[in-house]
Amino acid sequence: MQAVRFHGRGGQGAKTASRILGTAAFLEGYQAQDSPIYGAERRGAPVAAFTRIAKEPIRERGLIARPDLVVIADASLIDDPAARVLDGIDERTAVFVNSSLTAEQLGAQTSHAGRLTTLDLTDIALQQFGKRGAISALLGAVAGRLVGLRRESIHEAIARELADFGLAAPVIERNQTVALQCYDAVRTVSVVAGAPQPIAPAQLQVPTYEPPTRGTARISAAANSVLRETGGWRTFRPVLVPDKCNGCWLCFAYCPDGVISMNKDDRPVIDYDHCKGCQICVHECPTEALVAEREKEGAVAWKAK
Amino acid sequence: MTWQRETFKKIKQIPREEHVLPGTALCAGCGGLEALRLAAKVLGDDVVYVNAAGCFTMLAAYPFTPFKGSWLYTTMGSAPAGAQGVRDALDVLIAKGRLPKEEDLKVVVLGGDGSTYDMALSSTSGAITRKLDFYYFCYDNEAYGNTGAQLSPATPYGARTTTSPCSLQHPSGTTQEKKDIFEIWRAHKPPYIATVAPRYPLDLEEKFARAAKFTGPKLFLALSACPTGWLYDPGETPEVAKLAVETGLWPLKEAINGEVTHTYIPKRKPVEEYLKLQGRFRHLFEPTRQDDAIRHIQARVDEYWQQVKG
Ligand SMILES: Cc1ncc(C[n+]2csc(CCOP(=O)(O)OP(=O)(O)O)c2C)c(N)n1
Ligand code: SF4
Ligand SMILES: [Mg+2]
Repeated sequence: MQAVRFHGRGGQGAKTASRILGTAAFLEGYQAQDSPIYGAERRGAPVAAFTRIAKEPIRERGLIARPDLVVIADASLIDDPAARVLDGIDERTAVFVNSSLTAEQLGAQTSHAGRLTTLDLTDIALQQFGKRGAISALLGAVAGRLVGLRRESIHEAIARELADFGLAAPVIERNQTVALQCYDAVRTVSVVAGAPQPIAPAQLQVPTYEPPTRGTARISAAANSVLRETGGWRTFRPVLVPDKCNGCWLCFAYCPDGVISMNKDDRPVIDYDHCKGCQICVHECPTEALVAEREKEGAVAWKAK
Repeated sequence: MTWQRETFKKIKQIPREEHVLPGTALCAGCGGLEALRLAAKVLGDDVVYVNAAGCFTMLAAYPFTPFKGSWLYTTMGSAPAGAQGVRDALDVLIAKGRLPKEEDLKVVVLGGDGSTYDMALSSTSGAITRKLDFYYFCYDNEAYGNTGAQLSPATPYGARTTTSPCSLQHPSGTTQEKKDIFEIWRAHKPPYIATVAPRYPLDLEEKFARAAKFTGPKLFLALSACPTGWLYDPGETPEVAKLAVETGLWPLKEAINGEVTHTYIPKRKPVEEYLKLQGRFRHLFEPTRQDDAIRHIQARVDEYWQQVKG
């Protein structure tokens, strides 16, 4: 059995990539199982999804604690302690990272000693689609290549899975073409199927319940959400071109998270520790004084404190 | 009679102070959060929020809260009942002299459309009938969003949700019409009801300022464009909201003691412009154009505005 774990940020397409991989494997006659982690995942927040592929029936369920391949859709996740992308991997594990760095450069930055390969899918998507968007097809194709699935099955699986999103036919075709370019371009590393994972017996612990007056979760702090930084959610950051700003306040008015304040000169000041990168301000600025810049590792990328 | 804003005339009158602080786990580009943030600028900090389960649960995810005031979490069906309890407790404290009257708090229900149109409808009806002095803020993202965008009674005809997909039997996806909660509320004759859209911030702020003058149930229905459930790029949230209003699909209005005034009369662009922006309506255009469905949506809007003028 091959066990593949996907990590991404909500909206990037990690979940769909895991489906594409599962469907492609199924089309080749394998047993396949794919599932996202269920939680309060939100656009921009770390998410994970799991695909298992085998010739024989798959009895294992749940999270993949010891993956054979890890697919990381956003390099910033490596630094995000909440994402736990490097959990349960060793030198045996193959790792793919969507990154502008080479495997060697990235390897030097991370502690991962195993097989590492990278490709800048975000840049390819920007070049080929002309705008940011989900990279599920690209991730699915790369994963498919690494586990040894055929081009045709990836092609068909992308069509099946993206159709569910109400995407226009030409958009799906474009995704297929670009995904297969990535399929061809990614430097392969061998993915070694692991032995079935031994599942440690769990001890059932019976919790003791406090009465609701004591047992109900209570927060006795005011406005402490600012301690929780969401800057790492961004793949693009809004940047002000001061000369172009006419001080109209629209970015301030429309920012859902209230991370833009206006200074004395009526110029926006952006709180990058919390800006989630939705780009509403970039879309709505009437003078194009706010522009989207890609977050790049090694450059200005946000780091969890 | 044209409606006039009295308090909020210029965009620079939007209060600078934030009352919903950043760091919440709501989606990047959430239209519901955008609306709440603007509303809170008028409501202030002296508030007890009573939040029905839904995406807004994510506002105060333990151990963090974005509010300076209080926030209480209830089941989907019972936020108005929770609000009654909070209001009663405040009244008792004031009556006993344990809380100075000037330090009284506003009680504000936060509910999604799943709660508002569906699960909490009886609890809301009860609260309005009892003339409970509270605000009800419904952020309407037209689906059960928190659990992955399932059909709700607020989902409009033609939208695709995970439980009303485009299928051979139902090519339009959703076949029901959006429930008219505004009229259901209005039939209860509360002192104040309004619809708002965060793309029209002055209209929104003005309505919250006007509502403050009334004692009793004050109900708000906020268009909450949802990139995750409606399938569009998060940066387009204001554009989607603008087209919802400009096509006439989301009328901006208020009702004072039952009397309705439209606060903005759109020129009414074709509904297509709104539908085309969103993946949840894509099946109406691809692979084959469903003219009947699009015409149906347009006809419903035309019908609505006909009766407004008449
Ligand atoms: C009685 C009950 N049924 C189901 C749920 C699961 N649930 C939690 S949030 C949610 C969606 C709520 O939808 P809505 O009120 O529209 O708010 P939204 O999530 O869209 O913000 C559901 C179904 C629940 N909490 N309670
Ligand atoms: S699913 Fe929609 S309504 Fe819910 S937090 Fe995300 S954008 Fe907001
Ligand atoms: Mg909803």
